[in-house]
Amino acid sequence: MSSEQNHLKETDTEDRFDFKKEEKSAFAAEKGLTEETIHAISEDKDEPEWMLERRLRALEQFQEMPMPTDWPGQPDLSEVDVDEIVPYIRPDVDVRAGVDDWTELPDEIKDTFDKLGIPEAEKNALSGVGAQYESEVVYQNMQERWEEKGVIFCNMDEAVQEHEELVREHFMTKCVPPSDNKFAALHGAIWSGGSFVYIPENTTVDMPVQAYFRMNSEGMGQFEHTLIIAEENSEVHYIEGCSAPKYSKFNLHCGGVEVFVDEDAHVQYSTVQNWSKNTYNLNTKRAIAEKGGRMEWISGSMGSKATMLYPSTILKGRGASDNHITIAFAGEGQNIDTGAKVYHNAPDTKSTIESKSISKDGGRTNYRGLVHIADGAENSSTAVECDALMFDNESTSDTMPYMEINESKVDVAHEATVGKIGDEDVFYLQSRGLDDDDAKQMIVSGFIEPITEELPIEYAVELNRLVELEMEGSLG
Amino acid sequence: MSTQLPASISEETVRTISEERDEPDWLLRTRLEALSALDELDMPSVIETPGRRWTNLEGLDYESIVDPLDQRDETERVSAEGAKVLDFETALEEHPELLEEHFGSVTDPQTNYLTALSTALFTTGTVIYVPEGVDAEDVKVRAEMNSTSLFSHTLVVAEDNASATILERISNGSAVDGDRYFSNLVEVVTGENAYVQYGSLQDLDEDVYDFTLKRGDADRYATIDWIEGNIGSRLTRSDIETELNGDSSETKIVGAFFGHDDQHFDINARVWHNGEHTTADLVTRGVLDDEARSVYEGVQDVGRDAWDTSSYQRENTLMLSDDSEADASPKLIIHNHDTEASHSATVGQVDAEDLFYMTSRAISENTARNMLVEGFFVPVLEEVEVDELREDIDDLIVARLD
Repeated sequence: MSSEQNHLKETDTEDRFDFKKEEKSAFAAEKGLTEETIHAISEDKDEPEWMLERRLRALEQFQEMPMPTDWPGQPDLSEVDVDEIVPYIRPDVDVRAGVDDWTELPDEIKDTFDKLGIPEAEKNALSGVGAQYESEVVYQNMQERWEEKGVIFCNMDEAVQEHEELVREHFMTKCVPPSDNKFAALHGAIWSGGSFVYIPENTTVDMPVQAYFRMNSEGMGQFEHTLIIAEENSEVHYIEGCSAPKYSKFNLHCGGVEVFVDEDAHVQYSTVQNWSKNTYNLNTKRAIAEKGGRMEWISGSMGSKATMLYPSTILKGRGASDNHITIAFAGEGQNIDTGAKVYHNAPDTKSTIESKSISKDGGRTNYRGLVHIADGAENSSTAVECDALMFDNESTSDTMPYMEINESKVDVAHEATVGKIGDEDVFYLQSRGLDDDDAKQMIVSGFIEPITEELPIEYAVELNRLVELEMEGSLG
Repeated sequence: MSTQLPASISEETVRTISEERDEPDWLLRTRLEALSALDELDMPSVIETPGRRWTNLEGLDYESIVDPLDQRDETERVSAEGAKVLDFETALEEHPELLEEHFGSVTDPQTNYLTALSTALFTTGTVIYVPEGVDAEDVKVRAEMNSTSLFSHTLVVAEDNASATILERISNGSAVDGDRYFSNLVEVVTGENAYVQYGSLQDLDEDVYDFTLKRGDADRYATIDWIEGNIGSRLTRSDIETELNGDSSETKIVGAFFGHDDQHFDINARVWHNGEHTTADLVTRGVLDDEARSVYEGVQDVGRDAWDTSSYQRENTLMLSDDSEADASPKLIIHNHDTEASHSATVGQVDAEDLFYMTSRAISENTARNMLVEGFFVPVLEEVEVDELREDIDDLIVARLD
């Protein structure tokens, strides 16, 4: 263990995420949000008329909806002024749909992803990689053997052109409609980039597909859309990573993720979020699982100033199931408000939610979850387990689960615990020669193991590194 | 979102109530201030999740169910040696200073619209005063409501090293037709090392809308235990709260409810850990049949300076019918890391294996189910120190089973 610890300490995670590149763009929208901006973005992307109409409708809905302000204990969003956001920046890359060779990228963008270690990961363990810089995907590649089977992995803007019917049917219609919440509406109006993943029937993609999102410019918003369609009896693991350097102004990340899990399909969606600590991360992620479908959400929320994110699953078909594993880490000045939502709308559906949080140096974590069991969803079961670890008296950790149970033949269990790091555990490790910091680090690594063991090794290592940096207080 | 003042209530109404009771100025002033705050105050906060509000308190027609000048009750008060158990008017005469000091000291009358309404209009109530060092066992307050609306205020003062076990029961007396409204505010003040167990049983008929707020302030080494049984009413909104302000203070909040038909229970158990070394244990068990619905919120709030806190919460709901609904939100709000806190909640039906075991022993399915439901309440009933209260709750549960 100690040699691995040393190895981890020698890595330069801080540099990997918090470096800045000169801002270069081919097209940048005006600050703020108006119909003209929407027209300009849509035109620059050469979108079909229906997409422009959806954007404009979403804009209307955004303007009608109030900011969420009175949820108990919610993060303060008063600083989030959409008029101050640059909603769209197209980086200066020749090929609109992105290139499929890292060497073709402009040096400063290639350097960015090199530093983040994305090309390396692609070589080693992934079926395909997409990389988004600012508002557009700049790199996209999928291994040929998957393409031959009909698997599609491309950027969302390209999908609008190349797979119009699929997108038109699924894009913000039944899974995440813009009316869902104010930030889903904002996303619907100015979304750009993101991934489109389509897995045909009876196809198993046995290596993860990865997308990485990077915000580089000051005061910008990133609004990527991810649409995953897994047809009957297919299987895919999609991984998303993201980061941005820290600037003096706030950034807004407002993505949308829609996952369609058809009969007996299995989708795992994993993400390690490490936005800089001036980013507001206000995402909407949802999956619909048909009969026998299985959805898994694995998420680590490390960065951002404030996060409000509750990945949700609608268990629509008999026997559908859902697993959530989440970990949140809030350090100084951070407010991570996250949790999970599951709607049991059919009989024999199952869900488990395992949520871990760590708060330190005045950080604030909150588990906000909703489990809904509809009338008629008999023989459904759900188990929710939340554990919070607190390091000091300045930090705050809340648990706010909501359970709505309309059916009697169910098995519902919720458990939550909060506590400090065990003095005895620390003492025990110290008595075996570890210093105080290493002992605590080791206990935290053990605490978050349920999530790290679900991730591919690169991500697990990265998550451990990030936690370690947070523990040292070395990230600003 | 404040609700309009019912037309039947004016400053004149409040002055009439106060004058009839020959009340001191401070109380009239408190009533009038509560009345004028009604325009500004909101209904008690109710849980909302996407697309729904769990209890609709705005939907009540206060106009038709509040008749402030016709409030009638029949209340029997059983005292214990050394303690004073007085109706509110007598207590005002005999212990004016005690009342002026403690009335509204635990619960701000202007907490919300319904507390202010209750403070402005109450005509009945009980003051239980337990002087230093006195042990008052088996204090009983059995109240009957005999009018369209009834507003009550209960104050318990237990001085240093005093103790009291109190049973309060509310039910209907002579029949009054139509929808009705009952409201009771209960304040418990404890001195150092005092102990109060306050048990209450609500068995109103099912045309009554019921609002109660019970709140205790626990001093150093003090213990406040609440037992709360809800059987009757159409809609009950019940808040049971303890502030653990003194170091090493403790509280237990034990609840039981059994809903049938279209009854709706909104039960809120809250505890604030403000002192050091404080302990709380929240236990609620409920059964729902027919189209009954329960809303449960439990909050364990550990303050910044509440070092060495232990806080536990369990909520279990048994559903006997597919048309019933159980909503629950047990919340932990933790500001101090030197805390051991946990909560758990479960919802389910009568255990199939238990049922099978009993039916295989020749017990009919119906009897077996009834036995299991009765048994489900045992962990709650075990906490009740007053025999009469325990037996009454048990009897009402048995009566409800078919």
